[in-house]
Amino acid sequence: MSQSTNPFTQFQTDADRVTADDDRRRFLRTSLRGYQSTRTATQNRFLDYESARIAASDAKWEAIENLDIYLAQFADKLEARGATVHWCNDSEEARNAILEIIKKHDAKSVIKSKCMTTEEIHLNQLLEKEGFEVVESDLGEFIVQLRDEAPYHFVFPAMHLKKEEINTLFQEKLKSINTNDPEELTMVAREVLRQKYLSADIGISGANFGVAETGMISITENEGNARLTTALPKVHISLMGIEKIIPRLEDLALLLPILATAGTGQHLTCYNSQLGGPRQEDESDGPIEMHVVLLDNHRTRLLADPEQRDALRCIRCGACLNVCPIFKNVGGHTYGTTYQGPIGSVITPHLRGLKDWKHLSHSSSLCGACTETCPVKIDLHHHLLRNRRNAAGKGQGGIAERLLMLGFTVVMRRPWLYRLAGSLGKVGHVLTKPIHGTRIDPFYAWKKTRDLDDPAKQSFRQYWRARK
Amino acid sequence: MSRDAILGRVREALSVKTDPHVREVAEKSSHSLPVLANGPDGRTQAVKEFLPFVGDSLEDHIAAFKILSDKLQTEFIVVPTIEAARQAIEQMREQHQWERIGIHDHELVQSCVDHLKVEFTNTSSNYSTSELEKCDVGISGCDALIAQTASALVTNHSAGGRALSVLPPHHVVVAESSQMVTTMADGFAIIREKHNEKWPSFISFITGPSRTADIERILVLGAHGPKKLTIIMISA
Ligand code: SF4
Repeated sequence: MSQSTNPFTQFQTDADRVTADDDRRRFLRTSLRGYQSTRTATQNRFLDYESARIAASDAKWEAIENLDIYLAQFADKLEARGATVHWCNDSEEARNAILEIIKKHDAKSVIKSKCMTTEEIHLNQLLEKEGFEVVESDLGEFIVQLRDEAPYHFVFPAMHLKKEEINTLFQEKLKSINTNDPEELTMVAREVLRQKYLSADIGISGANFGVAETGMISITENEGNARLTTALPKVHISLMGIEKIIPRLEDLALLLPILATAGTGQHLTCYNSQLGGPRQEDESDGPIEMHVVLLDNHRTRLLADPEQRDALRCIRCGACLNVCPIFKNVGGHTYGTTYQGPIGSVITPHLRGLKDWKHLSHSSSLCGACTETCPVKIDLHHHLLRNRRNAAGKGQGGIAERLLMLGFTVVMRRPWLYRLAGSLGKVGHVLTKPIHGTRIDPFYAWKKTRDLDDPAKQSFRQYWRARK
Repeated sequence: MSRDAILGRVREALSVKTDPHVREVAEKSSHSLPVLANGPDGRTQAVKEFLPFVGDSLEDHIAAFKILSDKLQTEFIVVPTIEAARQAIEQMREQHQWERIGIHDHELVQSCVDHLKVEFTNTSSNYSTSELEKCDVGISGCDALIAQTASALVTNHSAGGRALSVLPPHHVVVAESSQMVTTMADGFAIIREKHNEKWPSFISFITGPSRTADIERILVLGAHGPKKLTIIMISA
């Protein structure tokens, strides 16, 4: 993945490369098939999954449509319990807020549990530049961090790697033993990370939900790394997007099982923890300070779109990636975004600008598998169409597209011209045969992966006339 | 200030109503949803009526808890008396050669371990993390057992802080059958009542031993937290 080229070129180059890699694609497909079958089994245990899904989707609607009220309530409640809430308009403000806390405590090392929002604001790069040691503790995140890579999938960060590759990586970076056994590899990481926990001064986590009623964040995980991150270091910082709010504590009783089912096919993930404030007076451990950093970073821009604000209800389960034919073929890195797959393609143009990211709206077959699988019923594939429309409306379709459409309109409106174009096309096809498939063919890019058959000898009009 | 700026932008954004078409698509469904009560009750009702069915009686709940526990690789032991729980723990001590045990001030926990000849680390008041790290096991109480998900619901009050139930390689929960409830919503209700809105700073649903499948989707237990979870339920 190259950062320097523009996002569109990078997407095309990477997509070409990954689609050509049959072996890796087969590997991904096998693993996603495994997800699909466990998920189906878990979903089938529900008495009424469809109703559960609507109720869950309702809870998020309620939050998003009253976000101002719930956000304020969330912050007030948290502060009443001794936490500090930092409101940040953009990435830079959030990075600075976090940096300031770390500096204030004269901290040396930082342990992190999984948090996609920190990827969004490029926190690690800044902290490392400032000379802090930052360690990702989620196993998948730890692996991609050692490889100096971005997560491949926002729920399964290292799903693209085979155990042999992880073995090589661990031997190289951690001087570990030579083993391809996932259990042994996991234990290597466990040992390394244990030491980091015990010495870290600051723990940084994300938040899956923010409960307005009680002023708590809720973290969903399987490994226990987020629990350690929020239990041992003396300062806990949680970074969350403002859209993570839910109205009431009881909403979690519904949303947590739904998130687990759609996310990994588990009926519930191993640890679902709600944290409201630092250590209280009558408590024996936990951080002495808790900071919640609330991030806007253009989420309000998406909220202002009455057609697409429902995308803010996303609970980041990753299900839409798992079923997406495009994701399965081009892989996660190709997107070049923090959030991959259909949801990433929908929200990235809002968060980072339509101009540079409009191509993502085309990374879809419009099959609607994402919309169908989304546990909170986000109208994903139609949003991709809306983004296409918006890009075209803003004249961002590009000169070529506009000329093409103009030409199309002219021809289609004039039957004689249409007939002429038909015959010319036939002749043209024969005449240009020698250059077909070569680089000087104007349709080279299109034909690279497609064959253009010879046109029929007789057009439909000719055929019809002859029949009469 | 940024707070006002952000809330201002949110309000401005929401001043335009959500496109009814989008709302409708999101809500469209082939069947109609049963009417749910407003507020927490509605959610509680949804959890009960739509999520997996686990019966109403204690026997049903225990059976459901057992089935899921097996799947999760949680060791779920039902014993008739405190005495039997003490024996079960003594057996575990022998089998796993425990030398140091993490505990906290909790009546049930205390009465289950006071006969053991081992070193104790008590996490109810100031304790050293490195000492707890050396413990072979952490034994704690809980607030409830959730039948629908086979979870133990804990807070820092019922489980001796945030670390006792996650740092040692083995976590043992002792509970009574009267603590068994149907859903997670019931669990929240218990904490609501117990702490009367003075919430503990840490609440967690523990569902099976720590796990990961980050390497080729192959399940490995004990990623960061305990490799082993035992739930002992004393059936009255
Ligand atoms: S859009 Fe829906 S399916 Fe995709 S990650 Fe968000 S909640 Fe999951």
